[in-house]
Amino acid sequence: MRDRIGRRGLLRVLAATPLAVWASGVQARDYTSAAEVLDEIDRLEADLDRRLARVAAAGAFAASVHADHERHRRERAVLRRRLRLPASREAAAPATLPPIDVESLRTVAQDLVHAHAEGLPALGDAAAVDTLARHMVVDARHLAIIQMWGEAEEQRG
Amino acid sequence: MLATARAAGVASPALAALTGGKALARTEETDLEILSAALLLEHHAIALYGHGLKLSLFPPGLRAYATEFRGDHQGHRDTQAAIMEERGAVAPVPRDDYDFAHAPAGDDFVRLALEIEIAAQRAYTGLISHIRTSDYLLSAAFILIDEVRHMTVWQRVLGLRIY
Repeated sequence: MRDRIGRRGLLRVLAATPLAVWASGVQARDYTSAAEVLDEIDRLEADLDRRLARVAAAGAFAASVHADHERHRRERAVLRRRLRLPASREAAAPATLPPIDVESLRTVAQDLVHAHAEGLPALGDAAAVDTLARHMVVDARHLAIIQMWGEAEEQRG
Repeated sequence: MLATARAAGVASPALAALTGGKALARTEETDLEILSAALLLEHHAIALYGHGLKLSLFPPGLRAYATEFRGDHQGHRDTQAAIMEERGAVAPVPRDDYDFAHAPAGDDFVRLALEIEIAAQRAYTGLISHIRTSDYLLSAAFILIDEVRHMTVWQRVLGLRIY
């Protein structure tokens, strides 16, 4: 939650901050190539899918997220070919099982959404920006659902 | 969505781009047109949330969300107005003829809030690939993430499908 509020605060602070400071990448990862952006999205997406698949109580949601990600992967593969980038590599599963509590899921989901947002300027291609922005909208919806899940857990104590 | 955008004051060429009727060139002028359109939507959202909060039109228990989302829209407004001013342009001010006098209370008011969130989300999604500069592209992307959260929360509140 703190990171999300931090982003929002950043937007507010921006109103009083020289844009040169913002453009220099304060608090935002500065991607240098489309390949780097797509590789990071591949990694985070696979991580989130693997974690969600282990959450028994989230079966229908996990299946829906996985289906969305499968579609995104196919569209990114098309994008990679068009931009003449190397094909995606299968992300290796970690040696130990990562945590699957709501906060961990939220963090990975948020990192995935932010990778899209922070990656857009590095794409240098309007059609690629359009594709990844639409994927980001879907992933931001997943993130919002996980956030509401966490908020409900907080309220239950 | 287009009706809401028009009601907010969004005009051509941004409106034409949203209808798919005109491809916008990625120029400084286009950035400023998108900023103007986005600011008008933000002004409209701030006014609607302000009205709803002032008259307690949101259902009990949802006031915190409404307050949070109004704050987000104020942040979006300030960010984009600052970008316009940084570029030597004059940011549009809110309209003086918003008509929320007959706005209903309860879930129906949440539906009004959802409409403006959907309009904002679709506008940013439709226009983002036309943005030329990295600073505004990055800002617009993070604003879009907020709009999706607002939309998803209201859809869930109204019992609409969210996945």
